[in-house]
Amino acid sequence: MKKVRGYNFSREFMGERVPQHIQNIVIRQYCQSMGLHYMLSSTEYSMKNSSLIFDQILDEIKNLHGVVAYSIFQLPENNLKRNNVFLKFIKNKKTLYFANEGFKVSNQKDAYRVEMIWLIKKNLIKCPSAKDIWAN
Amino acid sequence: MLNFASKTERKISKDFERKGYIIQNVPDIKSLENIKKILLNSINKKIKLKKKIEPNNLLDFFHNKINKKNLNSIRLDIIKDLNKNKKLKELYYLIAKPFLDILVGNELAMQTRINLSIQLPRDKSSLLPVHSDVWSGDSAFEIVVWLPLVDCYRTKSMYILNPSKLNKVNSIIYKNKKNSSEKLYQSIQKYINWINIKYGQVLLFNQILPHGNRINNEKETRWSFNCRFKGIFTPYRDKKIGEFFEPITMKKISEIAMRYNLPKIK
Repeated sequence: MKKVRGYNFSREFMGERVPQHIQNIVIRQYCQSMGLHYMLSSTEYSMKNSSLIFDQILDEIKNLHGVVAYSIFQLPENNLKRNNVFLKFIKNKKTLYFANEGFKVSNQKDAYRVEMIWLIKKNLIKCPSAKDIWAN
Repeated sequence: MLNFASKTERKISKDFERKGYIIQNVPDIKSLENIKKILLNSINKKIKLKKKIEPNNLLDFFHNKINKKNLNSIRLDIIKDLNKNKKLKELYYLIAKPFLDILVGNELAMQTRINLSIQLPRDKSSLLPVHSDVWSGDSAFEIVVWLPLVDCYRTKSMYILNPSKLNKVNSIIYKNKKNSSEKLYQSIQKYINWINIKYGQVLLFNQILPHGNRINNEKETRWSFNCRFKGIFTPYRDKKIGEFFEPITMKKISEIAMRYNLPKIK
C-alpha cells in the first residue's frame, strides 16, 4: 500500500484561504481516487513563510511513498527553496501530490510543469486583474 | 491601433465579433480522427456491445444502446477515462490551433479537463439553462472550443445570443424583470442563433454571450466536447491557473523573464 502523509495549511497561501476541514476532505477524496493510503494530515504553522511542519515531514519521507499537499501554492514562495523541495522528492524516489490541482512531482519533467505554474502565478500579480478591468 | 493581421485573420476576427462565434473546417483531420478513436475506445470500455456497430451509428443512436437512467454515471465514467489519456489535450489543441492563434494568441493556457456533453433525444436531465460563463466565475478573456463528434443541428445542437442584443439582455437582467433562467430564455429566444455544425468542423464561441441548450427533439444523440482557452497572462477570475487552467504554449522569453532578477546594488 502506498502510504502518504497529508499536508494542509492554517493560513492563506498566495491569496487563497481554504478551511482546514475542506482541505482534508479534498485530500482524502484525492487519495481514494489515486489508490493511496492516507495517513492523516499535518497542518503547517500559521506564521508567515513557515515550512517547519513540511520540513519535519521531509525528514521522515523515507518511511512514506510520498506527501499529498492540498495545493501547489502551499510550497515555499522562494524559488530556490521550492526547487530544493522538488529535488528532495526526486532524489529519494518519492512523490509529492497536489490534491486541488491533481498534479504530482516525481521527476524533473513533473517539477518543471509545476514550477511554470508557480512562476506564472507570481507574475500575474504584476499583470492587470479582472477587478482592475471591471468595477464589479 | 495598428493592425498587421492578414486579410484572412481579419475576416475570421470580424466574423467572430459580428456573430459571436466562428465555425471552421478542422485543419488537422488526423487529430480529429484520433480524438474520435479515443472517445469510441472509452465508450466501448463502458458499454459492452453484443455486436460490432459502425462508429457513427453508435454515437447517433447511442440512446438505443443504454438504459437512460444510467446516463450520468456512464457520462462521468467516460469523462474520467478520456481525461486519463495523456494525448487528448494536445490533439484537442491542434484541431483549433490556427483559429486560437488568430482570436486569442499563441501563448495559451488550456482548461485542465476537457468536458464531454451527451444529449440523448428528449432527455431533460442534461440541460444547460441559458447562461454566460462569466456569470459563474469565468474570465471574459476565455474562449470556448466546441467540437462535435456527430452532425449537430436544431435542438441537437446549442444556441448562442446574437452579440448585437447583449446590451438588451443585460438590461433585462439589471431590471430583474425575469426571475428564472427559463423566463429569461423565453424573453430572449427571438435573439438567439442555433448552431448548425457538422462532424469535421469546429466551433469557437464567445462565452460572454448567453448560450445553452434545450431538450434535444431530434432523433439522434448529440456528442460534443468543450474546452476553454485563454492567454496565459490575461486576467483570471474564479477559474485559476493551476487548478483550472494550465499553460500549454508558453514562450521561452516569458520563462526567462519570469526567472530574471535585476542586479542588486549595495
